[in-house]
Amino acid sequence: MEIRVGVFVCDCGTNIGGVVDVSDVVEYAKTLSDVVFADEGRWICSVDYLNKIKEYVKEHDLNRVVVACCTPRTHEPTFKSTVKEAGLNPYLLEFVSIREQSSWVHKSDPKKATEKAKDLVRMGVAKARLLEPAEETRVSVGKDCVVIGGGISGMTSALALADSGFDVKLIEKNNEIGGILCQADKIAPFEAQASEIVADRKKQIEERNNIEVYTGSEIQDVKGYVGNYKVMIEKEGEKNEHDVSTIIVATGMRELEPEGQFQYKKSPNVVTQLQLENMLKSQDLKDLKEVAIINCVNSRNDMRGCCNVGCLISIKNAKALKEKNENAKIYLFYRDLNIRGPEVPYFKEIIEKYDIKLVRISEDKMPEVFEDDGRLALKTHDILLGRELTFNPDLIVLTTAFQGDATVEKLKGLLKVSANDDGFFQEAHIKLRPLDFASDGIYLGGCARSPKSARESIEEAMGAAMRAAIPMKRGYVEAEGIVADIDYEKCNECGLCAKNCAFGAIELMDKRPEVIKAICKGCGTCAAECPKDAIDIIHFTEEQILAQVEAALEEEPQDKILAFCCHWCALGAVDMAGVGRSEYPFNIRIIRVMCVGRVDKSFIMKAYELGAGGILVAGCEFPTCHYITGNYKCKDRIEKLKKKLEKDGKDTDKLWIVWLSAADGPKFVKTVKDMVDNLNL
Amino acid sequence: MENQNSATSDAVLVVGGGIAGIEAALNLADYGLHVYLVEDTPSIGGLMARLDKTFPTNDCSICIEAPKMYEAQKHPNIELLTNCEVRRVKGKVGDFTVRLQKKPRFVDEEKCKGCGKCSEVCPVTISDELDGKISGQRKLIYIPFPQAVPNVYLVDNSCRYGKLREDGACIGGCIIDCIQCRECPIAKCVKACKDEGADAVLLWQQAKPMDVNVKSIVVASGVEAFEPPIGLYGYGKYENVITNLQFERLMNAGGPTDGEIIRPSDKKHPKTIAWIQCVGREARVGIPYCSKVCCMIATKQTIITKEHDEDVKTFIFNNNLKTYGKGFHEFYTKAKGLGVKYIIGKPSDVFEDPETKSLIIRYEDLEKGDVAELQVDLLVLSTALIPSGRNNKLAKTLKIELDENGFFQEPDPVNAPLETNVKGIYLCGGATGPIDISESVAQATAASIKAASKGVSNGD
Repeated sequence: MEIRVGVFVCDCGTNIGGVVDVSDVVEYAKTLSDVVFADEGRWICSVDYLNKIKEYVKEHDLNRVVVACCTPRTHEPTFKSTVKEAGLNPYLLEFVSIREQSSWVHKSDPKKATEKAKDLVRMGVAKARLLEPAEETRVSVGKDCVVIGGGISGMTSALALADSGFDVKLIEKNNEIGGILCQADKIAPFEAQASEIVADRKKQIEERNNIEVYTGSEIQDVKGYVGNYKVMIEKEGEKNEHDVSTIIVATGMRELEPEGQFQYKKSPNVVTQLQLENMLKSQDLKDLKEVAIINCVNSRNDMRGCCNVGCLISIKNAKALKEKNENAKIYLFYRDLNIRGPEVPYFKEIIEKYDIKLVRISEDKMPEVFEDDGRLALKTHDILLGRELTFNPDLIVLTTAFQGDATVEKLKGLLKVSANDDGFFQEAHIKLRPLDFASDGIYLGGCARSPKSARESIEEAMGAAMRAAIPMKRGYVEAEGIVADIDYEKCNECGLCAKNCAFGAIELMDKRPEVIKAICKGCGTCAAECPKDAIDIIHFTEEQILAQVEAALEEEPQDKILAFCCHWCALGAVDMAGVGRSEYPFNIRIIRVMCVGRVDKSFIMKAYELGAGGILVAGCEFPTCHYITGNYKCKDRIEKLKKKLEKDGKDTDKLWIVWLSAADGPKFVKTVKDMVDNLNL
Repeated sequence: MENQNSATSDAVLVVGGGIAGIEAALNLADYGLHVYLVEDTPSIGGLMARLDKTFPTNDCSICIEAPKMYEAQKHPNIELLTNCEVRRVKGKVGDFTVRLQKKPRFVDEEKCKGCGKCSEVCPVTISDELDGKISGQRKLIYIPFPQAVPNVYLVDNSCRYGKLREDGACIGGCIIDCIQCRECPIAKCVKACKDEGADAVLLWQQAKPMDVNVKSIVVASGVEAFEPPIGLYGYGKYENVITNLQFERLMNAGGPTDGEIIRPSDKKHPKTIAWIQCVGREARVGIPYCSKVCCMIATKQTIITKEHDEDVKTFIFNNNLKTYGKGFHEFYTKAKGLGVKYIIGKPSDVFEDPETKSLIIRYEDLEKGDVAELQVDLLVLSTALIPSGRNNKLAKTLKIELDENGFFQEPDPVNAPLETNVKGIYLCGGATGPIDISESVAQATAASIKAASKGVSNGD
């Protein structure tokens, strides 16, 4: 089929037109191969002009569209839908940014700004000519979820999903659901009985006919992906495979027993907080004269952080002990008191009303516990009093650290997700995706992620239920058309692509990799890392990008800086420099990639071959990457490439790499200036 | 007046467009419900949009939030209503009728292209609301920050009503009310926009009420930074005493100093900086709760300061350091490794050296058991997070209760967290109390399943 490109160049009022000679750019566009139509519009994003674009597409039988205007970060969706409404596949659009990348930043030199706008249009047309239709892929998702773990989180997730009309299988390895709350006494700071909460949730679960509870059961195998999981559940030696659509991980936490420390297990009078809570529930525990509670046992050291809940637990239990032993002296040995938010008044009230004695200990030295004449003894340094103190408590309670469930080690392999050394799972993003794993279809909540209170766990569990409910309610997950595509003639089944995919979107069927298009995010890391060059990214193909490289370096390549910028933060910084009207040297020509993970060695080699004056790779500032690991992979790749180029006698000084935040407009400007200065461009 | 959605509604109202509100709206919209996301300031993004970095990973805040802001704007199921207030609520769960009122921006949101020509020609520059104390300025027709969503300008109310005549506002001399006139031969912004062909500046724009029908409401009104009283640790008296939010804006490459950490008195880079934690908890101020996040904010700010210049000496005066969350302790260890000094205790007094404008901090040195003094170039007050100023009015409008601190009350936090005394109205984020971003996101997601649930239906 004949390629017929239409180019639409925007004046943006005078924002572009006041600097760039837009009619000159339009006339130039008409001279480019396959361009059959070019036009100037005052505001091409206005409803009037968008309708005109649709008419022009029909009138001139256009099958590729290039818009040259503001930035794809804000306006690509608008033009994409226009192209679609015009009857074309939306992926037949190429976006050229001549406002942020030219008129706004080169306003003092309209002639050069016009030259650059022409170059950018030429690059856009070069890519547009090679664009192919792409399809958004859907995978259907059913209405059933497996919740792994029957503690307060798992129970809450199950109930929230059941009440939203989904079917739940709740898997608990113990013979009873309830989790760590089965051992606990009360829930602070609310004075609610843990056993009552468990009983209430159990009753609610029994009443739902869409929750199946599997006690004494463990997950033995997980295959597939969102909408298509096959989960093997083993109960009493019997294994059964179940088809489910989504998975919630709520495996909870357990106490890290302080083996060999503080006379634990040597003396029956040294117990952990949970052991104490069991005792509080089942024994009288009277006649105590002196109790020592030691906080931060195995927490806040080189191995692990704060246990989050220890301080609150210690206060709650100090109160419970005092209620049973009115005359006992209760000492609380603490480092920093992690009593926060509205817990503060609760804490203060207990300290005062129950006369709990606080002793602040050093961060570097925990109290010593030893046997003295058959009695327990505790020696410590009180840093507020500035002196050594010795005690002879009848009972020592250790507020220990927590760790993830024992099954985590196995589960993380089955689910292909990661967990830290303490067995707490790694979320997709600590701030904005706390309840998701990187792969679609698996979610987490509660103490499976990190130690937390019952209340926080309940909230997270409801949130995790919502995350799982979304694809189940919609009935599908959908991916953009920008996805990986494997050429099996080149593939030697090394499996590296599956390893490199942060989203679990490449599955190995035996050894043959298959892209699960619906969950592929199109970052391009697999393509750039493939040793056989067997993977391409639809809409960002090697051929398309190399065509842009060639177009960018067509004239006076020695003066040009060819840049590969990611769509997110790097282009964000470029756009910010534009918004700030910060002028920078005219030399730079930017090729947009979704993620720098896509930047293949061949792109850079091509720029060398064509004699580029400088080459810049700009990605998201660490640790941010909108594709989790793309910038890290890119960094390693470029560093390796630099070594190779050095070996080959190439000038590696002209290859620059910079990591930008979306607020780094000034840093981007400085980088371009520095490159021009250092490379004498 | 527009009246949207008929009686049997499958829509949800989200009040507040900070990260919690955005997250709730996106979850509900992805779940297939129609969402009215109502924000009373001109842009969504909230407090998070103004931060430099987020702890404990030092992710750039706007980098991770802006994509969510754009997504909320473009989502086919989200109707984004900025500069808009909730005026009245009638009905009950499953069938609330909510009166909203779009405040005038004096700029047509559909027509404005965000090009900024109006701002270029505006003759009056004033001090910015957020960044004013650290020399941030803006024009009378302005955009709140570069990544604002929607990317639409607005005219300062005071300009439109002629209050800035003496300051040289171009429409100051006119005696005719804009509403009567409906065109403006005087205002430079109006002319510039007409010349651009957009003709979007409408000084005669009026408030526009609208009614919407929703089945449930999510309140995400957020938190605010406490403004210390004049004189507390020298704040407002000594130039080089600033709050942690102001310091955050100094660090931010998108802030008023392009990310240069400079002190207000002489615009020089400070060589020693101290932070005082728990500002607002003093008996004379009386905030009874802990704001949770300030310890990590200070820790983050010292780390970023060290990244700007590793030779800057940094001190954090704290009582009980809160390193409770995932990765927080490691973050604190990192700061200590960089040489940040954590001093236990709260200073008793702060004085200024009138010559150098540096600050002398008097405190009790626990190790020496004596009173000590520390001189610093810049003092940062880690102030408490307080309830949003909107809460009182919202509580009345929605008939939901506030707790003793002014956050919204949850009658049964264990069995029904995030619920209020009114069925069908849920809470998340800073509306519930001081909170960090990740907890806000988790709560917003949790509140959204409640707001979406089948239980929340007509006549239930």
